[in-house]
Amino acid sequence: MHGYIKTGNSQPAWLFPFVVIIVLILSVLPLARLAMVGMAAFADGGVMTVLSETSLWSATYYTIVTALLGTIISLVIGCLFAFLLTLTDIRAKGLLSFFFVLPMMIPPQVTALAWVQMSGPSSPLLKALHLAPPLGSPQPLYSVGGIALLYGVQHAPLVYLALRAGLMTLPRDGVEAARLSGASSLRVFRDIILPLSLPGIIAGAAISFVSCTGNFGIPAILGIPASIFTLPTLIFTKFSAFTSRTFGDVGVLSAIIAIISVVGLVIQDRALRGRDYRVIGLSGASAAFELGAWRLVFTPLVWAILFFMLAAPFFALVAGALVPAYGVPLTFKTMSLHAFEEILFRQAVTRTAFINSLSLAGATALGLLVVTVLAAYTLTRRKDALSRIVSSLIEIPYSLPGIVMAVCFILVFAAPIPILHVSLYGTIWIILIAYFSSFFAVSLKPVVSAFHQLDPALEEAARLSGAGFFRRLADIILPLIAPAAGASVILVFLIACNELTISALLWSAGTQTLGVAIYNLDDSGSSDLASALSVLVVLMVVVLMLLLEFLAKRLPKGVIPWRG
Amino acid sequence: MKTIVSAAALVAASLFAIPASAANLVLYTSQPNEDAQATVDGFMAANPDIKVDWVRDGTPKIMAKLQAEIQAGNPVADILLIADVVTLERLKEDGKLLAYKSPEAAQYDAALYDADGYYYSTKLITTGIMYNTSAAMKPASWKDLTKPEAKGLVTMPSPLASGAALIHAQTLAAVPGLGWDFYKSLAENGAIAAGGNGAVLKSVASGEKAYGMVVDYLPIREKAKGAPVEFVFPSEGVSAVTEPVGILASTKNADAAKKFVDYLLSEKGQEGFLKLGYIPARNGMKLPEGFPARDTIKVLPIKAAEALKNTDQDLKTFSGIYGSN
Repeated sequence: MHGYIKTGNSQPAWLFPFVVIIVLILSVLPLARLAMVGMAAFADGGVMTVLSETSLWSATYYTIVTALLGTIISLVIGCLFAFLLTLTDIRAKGLLSFFFVLPMMIPPQVTALAWVQMSGPSSPLLKALHLAPPLGSPQPLYSVGGIALLYGVQHAPLVYLALRAGLMTLPRDGVEAARLSGASSLRVFRDIILPLSLPGIIAGAAISFVSCTGNFGIPAILGIPASIFTLPTLIFTKFSAFTSRTFGDVGVLSAIIAIISVVGLVIQDRALRGRDYRVIGLSGASAAFELGAWRLVFTPLVWAILFFMLAAPFFALVAGALVPAYGVPLTFKTMSLHAFEEILFRQAVTRTAFINSLSLAGATALGLLVVTVLAAYTLTRRKDALSRIVSSLIEIPYSLPGIVMAVCFILVFAAPIPILHVSLYGTIWIILIAYFSSFFAVSLKPVVSAFHQLDPALEEAARLSGAGFFRRLADIILPLIAPAAGASVILVFLIACNELTISALLWSAGTQTLGVAIYNLDDSGSSDLASALSVLVVLMVVVLMLLLEFLAKRLPKGVIPWRG
Repeated sequence: MKTIVSAAALVAASLFAIPASAANLVLYTSQPNEDAQATVDGFMAANPDIKVDWVRDGTPKIMAKLQAEIQAGNPVADILLIADVVTLERLKEDGKLLAYKSPEAAQYDAALYDADGYYYSTKLITTGIMYNTSAAMKPASWKDLTKPEAKGLVTMPSPLASGAALIHAQTLAAVPGLGWDFYKSLAENGAIAAGGNGAVLKSVASGEKAYGMVVDYLPIREKAKGAPVEFVFPSEGVSAVTEPVGILASTKNADAAKKFVDYLLSEKGQEGFLKLGYIPARNGMKLPEGFPARDTIKVLPIKAAEALKNTDQDLKTFSGIYGSN
């Protein structure tokens, strides 16, 4: 691949060690600290006290049950959209894909708030339509089923994206050969497409399951009022009843979530092993099926699903922000912009939260980009075992639930740093470091795929003409990977801006993030303010996604998740 | 190289753009966001040279945050303005509070502040019954909530999430004829206890539940905004917390903190609370709109020292009845 030029000497000697040190700080140190606390708890018998609490076992049960149900729901919706949007000639695929991926980018607690506003006797929207259930009707979403349903909605795009990636490489000639031999569409689907897309489905299910087990926003808003605790919300409530044992207890609880996540990923790995569907021939099976008359069934179906997933909850959220007080039906007379006024111009907290989230997200996205460019450069050039280990170490914090990483960083930084005597706990810096750790993998992926597309000959030519490392970086590499770098920055920015799970444990006075502000407003009973802030956040997400859409033409394939 | 340098500069700039808390004072409070903001705005208008940052959460959660920070060696708060004296009494006994004799104390009933100046009550917040106006029964007594008409329709804040709710439970538990048995029969009638007072307001105003135990100002204020709710002071009497203010011994800006305490106790500060819909603690103040005359409100007694001693046991008893974590 690199011709006759030895690749090892094209990069400076400090580069790889530099990347290794960063990975040690961001991945190895925090996880090792968690492991130490876990082992210490084992040694002094503290684990037995935690393990003997019934709350732990009911939380583990609810975590697994809601995650399994949620995964099934996300599989059903995700697969339907992946098959329809990849293999058929359904219209407006780009638009459908954009809308379908949107829920994944919206903070989970906003999704939960929107759905609460949409259903139950409290819904301003249903009241306005005179459809609200009678007094005393329970909010149906405050239940295991409600949590699972929203998990399904939130994570269906993950299944969609995982499956879609596989479907794009399906052999078109295989399908055509079957067709020529007289196989029906159903037969082709069952005998060729389904078996070949199984790896994608399994991968999607595993990602969805792991994301469900780590979700905090949805069970916090839907579960706590009904006394249904999952492991992440149990950790959160343990922190809300702080005792001298808390640090140790949450260490053990985080370890249990980490184990469930890892088990999910291992099962996926086992399921995929031994299935080698190496396909030959032309790929790109776009429009292998013509819908024909079925268009009349599927087109309304997908738009109806999108309506219930996106439009209805969003309008409910807007309605919830416009009512002057609880229980007042929304009419043109009662409508008021008070909530928007209050959060935009009166509340210092929302202003602080906006500034904090935007600057944290900006600093994470740009700061990680510098590390990412260097890491991607050395990791794509080196092909040894060590660089593969480093690559997987970067992946671990991202695949673990945010609450586990938050606990890790609390354990590392709760006490003042030795030598320096600086305390990071309770400052914004601990959130920033946790973000760096959690979103490193997100930042790295687009840049690595850009490096893979880069022709090494260009850089080698520059090197032979005597250009130093930084010179080559500035004049050749950076211009060529600029679009991917832009996408990396926007993706990390988008995710970090909407983050709640990590900051829910790490925030303090003056360091509230948008996620925390929304959760806290709802928790204090100001759900009109929480809704208004959520509406603004959703609008911000859509603007950022549109920005990526504009970048799309200049990006390597697969960098923007919702585009083919 | 130039790009690297400018990228690095950009990163450095965005890192420094992260606001390190520039406030002179940090207030931890359990008031709802809008009230906390109004309180701090009022103080900063009177003291333009002092900037105040604030954090709001339920009293138990605020205390957890503070305890975690103290354990990590980095307490952030300078001032506490939280639901009840019992919590502050505990901090006083642990030596975490700063004594300050405010000159404003002369205008207060001696029962409303600590004689050594560790904490001062700022207002009277009672807990009574709110109901949705479309509910069939109009409750007049605590015991009405155990009637069949209220089956499955009652909600209350959890003492694990709200300081006022803890005092309320401890107060009612000491009333002859009510006691823990009252809480048991409520639970048998399908009452639930979860979240804070905000959650109760939401649940009753929206019609998920018909009746709720809740602090007075929330439903009275929401009713004025048009929400379909009513608040009643039950015949047996109401429990009350006084939302005391105290300065943490670890504060780095004791002078500003003392000014904050003086402001809250001053006539101006008390008028601010009045405007927000709270009963001011200071002598000779009016009552907010929507409240009955003060002498018609019967406040049930609570012995703070005893409540403090029994807190852990009472929390266990309550959790045992309502099966909450």
